[in-house]
Amino acid sequence: MGPLIPQEIIAEGWNFFIAFVVGIGFGFVLEQAGFSSSRKLAGVFYGYDTVVLKVFFTATITGMLGLLYFSLFDWIDLNLVWVNPTFLWSAIIGGIIMGAGFIIGGYCPGTSVCALSIGKIDAMIFFGGIFVGIFLFGETYAIIKPLYMAEYLGNIKLSDVLGISQGALAFFVILAALAMFYVAEIAEKKFPREEY
Amino acid sequence: MLTLKRLTAILLGLGLVIAFVPENTTKPYRLSAADMLTEVQFGTEMISPDELADWLINKDPSIQLIDVRTPKDYNQFHLDGALNIPLSKILDNEWVDYVDQGIKMNIFYSNGTTLSHEAWMLTRQLGYENNYVLQGGLNFWTETILNPSAPSPYSADDEIAKYEFRKGASQYFGGGGVKSSVTKSKSKASKPKIKRKKKKKAPQGGC
Repeated sequence: MGPLIPQEIIAEGWNFFIAFVVGIGFGFVLEQAGFSSSRKLAGVFYGYDTVVLKVFFTATITGMLGLLYFSLFDWIDLNLVWVNPTFLWSAIIGGIIMGAGFIIGGYCPGTSVCALSIGKIDAMIFFGGIFVGIFLFGETYAIIKPLYMAEYLGNIKLSDVLGISQGALAFFVILAALAMFYVAEIAEKKFPREEY
Repeated sequence: MLTLKRLTAILLGLGLVIAFVPENTTKPYRLSAADMLTEVQFGTEMISPDELADWLINKDPSIQLIDVRTPKDYNQFHLDGALNIPLSKILDNEWVDYVDQGIKMNIFYSNGTTLSHEAWMLTRQLGYENNYVLQGGLNFWTETILNPSAPSPYSADDEIAKYEFRKGASQYFGGGGVKSSVTKSKSKASKPKIKRKKKKKAPQGGC
């Protein structure tokens, strides 16, 4: 039956309302999990607090398994679900910039808004930085464009590239995530910090 | 650590299952054989000649007759306003805008119902809607609308009312020896400008 909007089971206008509700829920959970603390977020990179890694990977796996099982039970048509198009170089360079910003600033874009909402000053500066970045990107777009658009691969999925079934790929992702969880546990014991 | 162990057990279990079950490749917009059977059993695709006659007389603009016989048969005789899409060409790109649309009600007909049913089956399997079949085809049309036979005087009232309607329709369509001026104005089937339904794109998302 799903996805609900492309199949016109509910009207397209509901998109915004659902996004609004999900957005509030997302922000609330981020704040409740302590993600509005830049020290907690930076902890992933220093090894003393790996909650961020665990939460995001658990969310990914839950979503992944949920979609695959829904598809298995015929509740959703995965062909109608949007797959983000891949621009290879943009993804790599953007990933590096994002990662560096994550370590330096201590926030990812979502958590910065979350921290800004509870009045953290560093988050306000971080948020301002996002707009400086957007402005610079816009101004230099003509120069960056060839790199930005390079290696367009379309709406591809990793399982298609590797030529294995989606289920098998999901299983390997789970194995990788679990391995990371155990490494994270060890890291937290190895680099403990009392107060942060 | 206990939570992590539990999580490991659950995720590995679910992951193993999903890794080994075959991928679901059914397309919800294609009807399964069972769904087709239900539709056929209930006869939802059937349009009776009386219904069709009523619509034609009232010049219902939403119906589109489609003759699925060969062009030769079509040129010999066809219902007014019918398009000729031979069954062998029903899947051609040329006609896809006519058979896959959401505005008009397509009614397939042939001499009997074999060809028209085949056309309906094919298009229904592809998930096209608004396609119907003229019950009994042209043979039954001639029998009931063009040359209706009088029911016995002891028939039920609605049988007699039906006959009265058919007698009128017969005159309208110029059957039964009654010549009417209407059939002479053989207008060429006008190609309706049909906008195809927009294929909805999946909504874009981002972080």
